[in-house]
Amino acid sequence: MREQPRVITQEILHILIKDTEPWLSCDDCFEMLDEYADRRLVDRDDAHTSMVTHLEACPACAEEAASLLALIANDE
Amino acid sequence: MSAEAAGASPGIRACDSDQTMTRIGADESARAQSATDTERDPEDWIVALSVEGPKRHHALRRLHALLLRAARHQVRRMDTLLDGAGPDVADELTHQAADEAMVALLAKLHTFQGRSRFTTWAYKFGILQAATAVRSHAWRTRQVVLDDSSVTVDLGPSVEEYAETADLARAVRRAIDETLTPHQRRIMLALLVDEVPIDVLAERLGTNRNALYKTLHDARVRVRADLTAAGFLRAASEKGNAR
Repeated sequence: MREQPRVITQEILHILIKDTEPWLSCDDCFEMLDEYADRRLVDRDDAHTSMVTHLEACPACAEEAASLLALIANDE
Repeated sequence: MSAEAAGASPGIRACDSDQTMTRIGADESARAQSATDTERDPEDWIVALSVEGPKRHHALRRLHALLLRAARHQVRRMDTLLDGAGPDVADELTHQAADEAMVALLAKLHTFQGRSRFTTWAYKFGILQAATAVRSHAWRTRQVVLDDSSVTVDLGPSVEEYAETADLARAVRRAIDETLTPHQRRIMLALLVDEVPIDVLAERLGTNRNALYKTLHDARVRVRADLTAAGFLRAASEKGNAR
């Protein structure tokens, strides 16, 4: 049983209607993540549109991408 | 040869000649080199991990150290989710994630194509396993209510162009209620409104992250199509022409 009613806030509203085209799956995102991170380390603007779109729409993949970038930047 | 074995060589016992001194120097150098080798990553990880023998054992140890580093880094980033759990839990999650990442990586070793550094490729396995483990632990006692009950709108007091945004919010609520399948509606509301992590929801439903993200993507496409037809969003073709 739900304890509190669901509420759409301004922030959630934009997340609900986010344009997630071009499509990229979480598996494909993981597949591309290492190459994306190494390239981003050299050039911050170098990124696939589909990858950027996915990372903006998927908090779990976005956290893991940010984490990988921070870890390899630390190694430099 | 181990450093201990090199130190026990006959040359060290007879140090009364230049030749013996040279051998002692070589032994010490070999010992130092051996110690350095245990700290050094293989030059070619794929070869080192693929060929049976001491080199593979060394490479496996170095790989596990990499994965442990990635897992520890990830667990630290998410430590607010482990609030009150204590260092033992964080340590256990770290090691378990590194072990599971090791298994996952070795199963995919043949897919590494060298498009990134091997270390970056390896790190992502440790990070994924650790992030999933932390989210799972953080939600272990929390109930996930999967229903398609309707939502209310609360845009807050300071929204500019309030009336327009309120109209959009009502249209979104209607689109969710009327255009989505019950499954799409439950998944969208659980992930985006209730903010259940996608891997936690996947675990509870016995599915995977990929399938849930596809369901969410399809739901967004339907909602956006409805909003476009109702005049709240521009069509994709119009956006393309506007560029």
